[in-house]
Amino acid sequence: MNKNIILYAAILIFGVAAPFVFPAFKVQLSILCILIILAITWNVQGGEMGYNTFGNILFYGLGMYLCASVQVGMFFPLAEWTEGGGEKTFVHTPAQFFQGFAVGLAVAAIVPAIVAGLIGYSILGLRGHYFAICTLGLGVAAGEISGGIEIIGAGQGFTTPPFPKVGSLEARGEFFYFCSFAVLIFTFLAVKAIYSTRFKLVLNAIRDNEDKAEAMGIQTMKYKIIGWMISAFFCGLAGGIMGGLVGYIDSTDVAFDGREMGVFMVLMAILGGKGTLWGPVIGATVFHIFKEGFWTFFLGWQYVALGVLIVVIVIYFPEGIMGWLREKYPERFGEVVDEADRKAQVELK
Amino acid sequence: MKIKKIIITFVSAIAILFSTSVVSLAKVVGDKIILGAAISLTGKYSSNGVHTQNGYNMAVDRINSMGGVKVGGKTYMFDIIYYDDESNPKRAAQLAERLISQDGVEFMLGPYSSGLTKAIAPVTEKYGVPMVEANGASRSLFTKGYKYLFAVLAPANLYLDVAIRTAVELNGGKGVRIAQAFEQDAFSQDVRLGILDAAKETGSKIIIDDKLPKELNDMAATLAKVKATKPDVLVVSGHTKGALTAIRQIAEMKVDVPMLAMTHCDAAKLSKQHGANSQYALCASQWHKTLTYKDDFFTDGMTYDADFTKEFGYAPPYQAAESSAALLVFKDAFERAGSFDQKKVRDALAATNMQTFYGNIKFAEGGQNVDKPMVLFQVMCDDAGKCENKVVAPLKWASAELIHPIPKWSDR
Repeated sequence: MNKNIILYAAILIFGVAAPFVFPAFKVQLSILCILIILAITWNVQGGEMGYNTFGNILFYGLGMYLCASVQVGMFFPLAEWTEGGGEKTFVHTPAQFFQGFAVGLAVAAIVPAIVAGLIGYSILGLRGHYFAICTLGLGVAAGEISGGIEIIGAGQGFTTPPFPKVGSLEARGEFFYFCSFAVLIFTFLAVKAIYSTRFKLVLNAIRDNEDKAEAMGIQTMKYKIIGWMISAFFCGLAGGIMGGLVGYIDSTDVAFDGREMGVFMVLMAILGGKGTLWGPVIGATVFHIFKEGFWTFFLGWQYVALGVLIVVIVIYFPEGIMGWLREKYPERFGEVVDEADRKAQVELK
Repeated sequence: MKIKKIIITFVSAIAILFSTSVVSLAKVVGDKIILGAAISLTGKYSSNGVHTQNGYNMAVDRINSMGGVKVGGKTYMFDIIYYDDESNPKRAAQLAERLISQDGVEFMLGPYSSGLTKAIAPVTEKYGVPMVEANGASRSLFTKGYKYLFAVLAPANLYLDVAIRTAVELNGGKGVRIAQAFEQDAFSQDVRLGILDAAKETGSKIIIDDKLPKELNDMAATLAKVKATKPDVLVVSGHTKGALTAIRQIAEMKVDVPMLAMTHCDAAKLSKQHGANSQYALCASQWHKTLTYKDDFFTDGMTYDADFTKEFGYAPPYQAAESSAALLVFKDAFERAGSFDQKKVRDALAATNMQTFYGNIKFAEGGQNVDKPMVLFQVMCDDAGKCENKVVAPLKWASAELIHPIPKWSDR
């Protein structure tokens, strides 16, 4: 228990000190936080529940558009802000900016959760590949549809409100970093708390044998929907922050970016180890570092390098980093290995 | 619980990694002025990204070999740090941040496309980093009140304005029926707004107004409608892929339309790729080699065309020419500012009033270049099937007469 506290304190101190110790990396660190949130939330479905979803990008993009729209719409006419020619320029006062952002984030979390409930009700009956393909369509459709809605900028894109002039030059970076770090902690603790309840066992039961779980009297549909709503809630928050951080929302390249973010969240969770609490965190961190490294050292070939990395992961770490560690050092995961017993079993066979 | 130990080791390893990789390059090292640029080397804009990069490189080599930049009695050479933005706005914004805060770049060159420029401008603006961009034409870039953004090109809404006006003129001043299809991106949507304005003013009617997806490979649905409704003008804009797709399918489906107006024909090397099929296409261009602008570095358009072709093996599209012009603007501003103070350079940029081989450059309040009109050229082929782009409007520079209406496919 003590070690736990030390670990969490260390991470917290690292997280709080990071933007000051590595001021040049604030944006990368903020994106790392966002990536970890996405990996953790994907893991709720893909890892614990056994439902491989490509649809979480829908909630991320939805959150992004909602947060920015609310932030603008609370104080100025949204249609004029996003109007094609952009003839008018509105400037948020600091108070307006922060109020708008706070309310925007709340909306960006709640609405996607509701949407997840509604969509989940209709498609969570699908299983396996059918569910994966169906969710893949959700993200693509959302990108195309949002690219045609004039009030959120359509194909022109949506420039989010510029950060007001408060504090030093670094204020913007620090603000978004701490937002994303705070949401990351919130997400982690919430998911950790949920994993310590019966809820996680139900999700695992669904993953291992859904029919049996149902036969035992578990209302699997209810749990599946709630699980997805929880993911959507945090994905929406992550999207909202990311929109503000990037400063410009494009329907298919930034918001409903299934080709990148949508795939990355799956990769990161698998790299770290599906179905574990720490796996997605580690996976996202390793992935982000590799990705940034490839961008710097293999300019123009970064996706080839990334592809090789994925192949290596799949061949050598099919269970992810956590799975590999667990196999290698089972005793460190609190598993007791009785060598004599193990040998005896092998001999029996 | 030893797993926690591993995690702690892991976290500290990251910390070490981060702290050792901080490399700070100053904006001016020794005799070098280091500019930063995020360029689309991969992704959907990769071909235009390369044109942009070639344009930048060509100008850097030329300026450096002709004596460099003289600031405060000292001579400096240009150097550019490039990153690949993957044609993705999210990445571009991140890279701008990285160039400025990690690489210490204090002056930026623009990326390719309006969307990416839109993503980068807030970052350069925040840090007060002057950016001269050559490939972001969307009008909304210039109405945001950016102080550090300067574009050497004419805004996107003017691209095909001339085409519509010409069509109306040829129609005896009466409004025409327009069919249009635009990609869902910032630039093309702005071209669309320009057409809407022109249509309103000339009393023209828009009978088809389609949106095309990004990564566009098929527009058969739009063309089928065009075949059925027989408009007077068909307008298509969707960067390089849009131009290629349009010509390919128009030829395949034998769509007859009196006037076909597009963007990005030269970047797509249309006349080379599709030969006679691309004949008669009318294209908006920021620049053409036959224009008579001059400067000391590239002499004029024809010389630039020849030098560029020699170096890179293909004729320069306007994307390359305007990119080269951006460097000339920077050089001029540095020398007039006589300092590397960002504010002074910014003010010098704002006061720019010069002629380059690419055209006159003078910035309006919003940062757009107001001293350079667009030109329209038409793809014209001789009997041997050799095609060339010839300027047809405005009349001042026209080297050939506009062929209108386009002959029917059955007569070709």
